[in-house]
Amino acid sequence: MEEIHTASNVTEVESCIRSNDNSRNLIISSTIPESCKSQPCVLGIDEAGRGPVLGPMVYGTAYCPKDNNEELLKNLGCADSKALTEKKRDDILDSICKENAWLGWMVEIISPNVICNSMLRRQKYSLNEVSHDAAIGLIRKVIAAGVNVREVYVDTVGPPESYKKKLSEIFPELIITVASKADSTYPVVGAASICAKVSRDSALKSWTFQEGIQIENNAWGSGYPGDPVTKKFLSENIDPVFGFPQLVRFSWSTASKILKEKAVLVEGDEIDDEEEEGENKKTRSIRNFFKPKADENVESPVVEERHAFFKERCLQVCETL
Amino acid sequence: MSITLNINTDVLESPKTSSVHSMPFYIDHDGPANVSKYFSSYLKPSSSDNALDASFRGLPLKGTSISVPDGFKGLIFTETNQHQAEDDERNFFLKDNFNKITYWNYDKLPSKNDAIVSALDWIHISQAVSILVLNQQW
Repeated sequence: MEEIHTASNVTEVESCIRSNDNSRNLIISSTIPESCKSQPCVLGIDEAGRGPVLGPMVYGTAYCPKDNNEELLKNLGCADSKALTEKKRDDILDSICKENAWLGWMVEIISPNVICNSMLRRQKYSLNEVSHDAAIGLIRKVIAAGVNVREVYVDTVGPPESYKKKLSEIFPELIITVASKADSTYPVVGAASICAKVSRDSALKSWTFQEGIQIENNAWGSGYPGDPVTKKFLSENIDPVFGFPQLVRFSWSTASKILKEKAVLVEGDEIDDEEEEGENKKTRSIRNFFKPKADENVESPVVEERHAFFKERCLQVCETL
Repeated sequence: MSITLNINTDVLESPKTSSVHSMPFYIDHDGPANVSKYFSSYLKPSSSDNALDASFRGLPLKGTSISVPDGFKGLIFTETNQHQAEDDERNFFLKDNFNKITYWNYDKLPSKNDAIVSALDWIHISQAVSILVLNQQW
């Protein structure tokens, strides 16, 4: 079971993020309001930082008793987090935290390293699946904490119909609504989007490089591939062997294209490189490096077959280097 | 062509400081690399199995520590002059020694199916075979 950290204001969220190992995921939660255990609740889910090439993706959920929730949440200013300023979002999260008698929240900060590792596994695990599983995980954790969840509102990832079907199969007892732009339609999703966005911004801004590199004025920008500050950061922070620091999502084409141009070649039999299909595929397979060179001028002598024991272990008699 | 291995006994007997990583890729680089900053700093025991976890350019790696068998030593040699022709004289110098390798697979637990792990069988077998020959009465 993953550890769940508790925070009761924006400052605590920030210090929790800073003290965590940023190559791993982090779950932060409010305390669970007693009223959410006794009364039927609505729960909203939204995400922040799905598109950027830098930093974590954050899944957020907010929940509260169903009665009168829309008006109470609107009074707090819960709306689409993207339409608000950063300061305003911080203030609203603090307000959300102050209403802990009836309003709870939880976020999962998915490390950029975990995103890359997932997407670059042997068995492809798409960003959509990562997202769905994060949402499912949050619902499970909130229910496990004792919250009486009845209705779930989710901002869609991929086609809403199949996502809704997936969620309904896992949670048959819940009424599930999956919609695009749910964060502006349902205040409880708006609240979730604020929790997610504040955490995402904080994690990106306060990133400490375990590689020990220092960036003046923390100038890596928003992380969106189109941001000139982000572009500059990417082109100036390349290690020829290891590529980028782990703030960067290697699985984004923006990142892999830069590495292809500016870092040393890395290849392996089992790494898929979809962009190299067809005519561009000029690079040799790693196996070629281990094949003995055929000497065309010499009539090939009768070579005694090595015993399978040695062949399987790649053992050869070494007389020259 | 002749090959000379220059073994400095100080280096041979020095405490084993080098950490050697076997990577599951061909990396087109020969020279120093920022291993401790970019790689070892993220190396940690896995939470789901008893392997080691690390990443290389975002790729998930599974690793295990392989000890050099008792009575043996791992040696690292460097060649200072690039050799030109086939029959040039070649000089290798002992750079460091090691007693374990961290062996990495790409998203797959290291096992006896990996050549490097099973290759060490030969050390025991070769000893057994040699003893047999040495004890032979002629």
